[in-house]
Amino acid sequence: MGQAGAFTTSFLEFPRVSFYSVLPADIISTVEFNHTGELLATGDKGGRVVIFQREQESKNQVHRRGEYNVYSTFQSHEPEFDYLKSLEIEEKINKIRWLPQQNAAYFLLSTNDKTVKLWKVSERDKRPEGYNLKDEEGRLRDPATITTLRVPVLRPMDLMVEATPRRVFANAHTYHINSISVNSDYETYMSADDLRINLWNFEITNQSFNIVDIKPANMEELTEVITAAEFHPHHCNTFVYSSSKGTIRLCDMRASALCDRHTKFFEEPEDPSNRSFFSEIISSISDVKFSHSGRYIMTRDYLTVKVWDLNMENRPIETYQVHDYLRSKLCSLYENDCIFDKFECVWNGSDSVIMTGSYNNFFRMFDRNTKRDVTLEASRENSKPRAILKPRKVCVGGKRRKDEISVDSLDFSKKILHTAWHPSENIIAVAATNNLYIFQDKVN
Amino acid sequence: MEFKLEAHRIVSISLGKIYNSRVQRGGIKLHKNLLVSLVLRSARQVYLSDPCPGLYLAGPAGSPTPQPGEPAAQPPAGWGEPPPPAARAAWPDAEPQRPAVPDAPQAGDAEPAATVTRAGAALRGRNEDTAGAAWGRVDGPRVAAAEGVSDASSEGPPAGCLRAREGQPGPVSRADCRRAPQPAEEEPCAPPGLGPRKRGAAGPGGGHAGCPAPCSTPLKKPRRDGGEEDAEEEMETGNVANLINIFGSSFSGLLRKSPGGGREEEEAEESGPEAAEPGQICCDKPVLRDINPWSTAIVAF
Repeated sequence: MGQAGAFTTSFLEFPRVSFYSVLPADIISTVEFNHTGELLATGDKGGRVVIFQREQESKNQVHRRGEYNVYSTFQSHEPEFDYLKSLEIEEKINKIRWLPQQNAAYFLLSTNDKTVKLWKVSERDKRPEGYNLKDEEGRLRDPATITTLRVPVLRPMDLMVEATPRRVFANAHTYHINSISVNSDYETYMSADDLRINLWNFEITNQSFNIVDIKPANMEELTEVITAAEFHPHHCNTFVYSSSKGTIRLCDMRASALCDRHTKFFEEPEDPSNRSFFSEIISSISDVKFSHSGRYIMTRDYLTVKVWDLNMENRPIETYQVHDYLRSKLCSLYENDCIFDKFECVWNGSDSVIMTGSYNNFFRMFDRNTKRDVTLEASRENSKPRAILKPRKVCVGGKRRKDEISVDSLDFSKKILHTAWHPSENIIAVAATNNLYIFQDKVN
Repeated sequence: MEFKLEAHRIVSISLGKIYNSRVQRGGIKLHKNLLVSLVLRSARQVYLSDPCPGLYLAGPAGSPTPQPGEPAAQPPAGWGEPPPPAARAAWPDAEPQRPAVPDAPQAGDAEPAATVTRAGAALRGRNEDTAGAAWGRVDGPRVAAAEGVSDASSEGPPAGCLRAREGQPGPVSRADCRRAPQPAEEEPCAPPGLGPRKRGAAGPGGGHAGCPAPCSTPLKKPRRDGGEEDAEEEMETGNVANLINIFGSSFSGLLRKSPGGGREEEEAEESGPEAAEPGQICCDKPVLRDINPWSTAIVAF
């Protein structure tokens, strides 16, 4: 289990549970590790971003290695009101994406429904002292009183982490932004709303290129919307976007300026035996993610997670049932709006395990190699520090065993929509409403 | 039969969602509304294709005294329950209409169907495809039976919150349509699926107890002319095309941003829900004459 990403029995035992709770009012709306895994960013409904940093190893406190503590908190977006359209724009952070680190500062993109912002998070642990023209409080000194000159020096101070907005990319989206994705060239990124995808350069905020536009000339003919989009991890000309009809399109920006015509089209034929009123809703893809290798894409719809090979468009190579027992309850889930929940899915560092959330604060992991899967629960009661997480099971019928939970007892208000996996280690972050759980493998 | 019930219920829930989406923070979500409209379409197809007879919108079983304004404690499953036999006879308004009703299916006036809310269809055991219309008729204005427009609202309106002033050939006065739409999910008002019985109908139009009585007081918002189809792009949400198909071409303005008055734009695009005021009626179109039940629901919006 020393191998990063290896899904062994030990991974089921999470002895160390770091657990951080944000303000009760703020529901976490996105979670993302940075490229090294040292930082973990969360965005919430109140427009705030909280960044956690992993503690460095220290000889004195070996057992505390790797815990994440709050590093920085800032208000990224505020509620706005579009007076022209009488529309309130929510401050909820829909997505956060990190840029790879290129200097001492950290950069991330955060977006709400309409505006993307580039934030710089930097540390300051020294401050200059000994100015000639200013005193220590910053007040100007009367030059007449200055008789000697000195060289200001930098003195240590308490570490301060500041976040400053470096760019604001606004007014480019008529519809609600659902995704942002940083390109592998690190110079551009894309933002996707329901009908359009725009390509931005980080340096230019007053214009963007529209690369996908599926808005029909007559809105009455609208049949599908874009639900998620992502750049290929290595090929800066390639990206995919998913639709509400359960399809994925792969586009190549070299082919044309406007990528309305896809290069590849991934769709699985519908199983007619499963047809119901809600077939269309449950086939809508809520998340799409490239594997780290770039060979596969994973999609999440309401009941399943699918892995697709980029070279095979007519069906996925793997399909995993997340909570198929909900299939018979779709009508109730429609009534209480749960059927519209958008679950995300993530790969582990080696692309061997995939993870996604469910209800009742359950989340599921699937090992692609061994075909094993496990259901775990993120809850305070069950997670004492250094406790081992016990696999859970949902009883779908018949006699319920002692440890099982029946479908009817599931709490649908406790949903895990957002999860993140450390890029190289077996550390996962799970957002359960307004609580953030960080689980680590029992290694070391 | 069950399919129809289910379909009906789903339709009412869906319409409620569409309505609610207009008032929620952050503006209308195009994706969600699109999905809801797809469900609506599916449900409608099932509803219309299911040849099941005798769908009784009529009141829930055992409601003994259908008095006007009676806050019927009808169980939501008013659908499909064998109509309480004699009780309905108490609906004088409905009476004259009854005969007309049912077998004159959708083609005819909505009103017969409309009038025959629970009682009519139920009593007769008639094949109520037109029953669909009845459920829409929630608390229509009280129209004298003589006019043939029915809405026996005074009797304690039948269906849930969605009211439809049906059956009036030709454009009904806008005022009639302008009711604050009531989402079907307003529980106290409309049992899911729009139980035919409308509760607490007192007063003109008999609003549901607990529901803002829309029927009685048409919410007439000042019409905002223009800006309907702005040259500048607005956030158009709502798959109106589907809705149009569902509800008939004469409906327009569903989910229209500005209450454009009685404009009959066929395109009926949702031109920016943002500008809509909560509670604003979307549809200012007269109720459709055909009995298509969905149309009555639309009117609610």
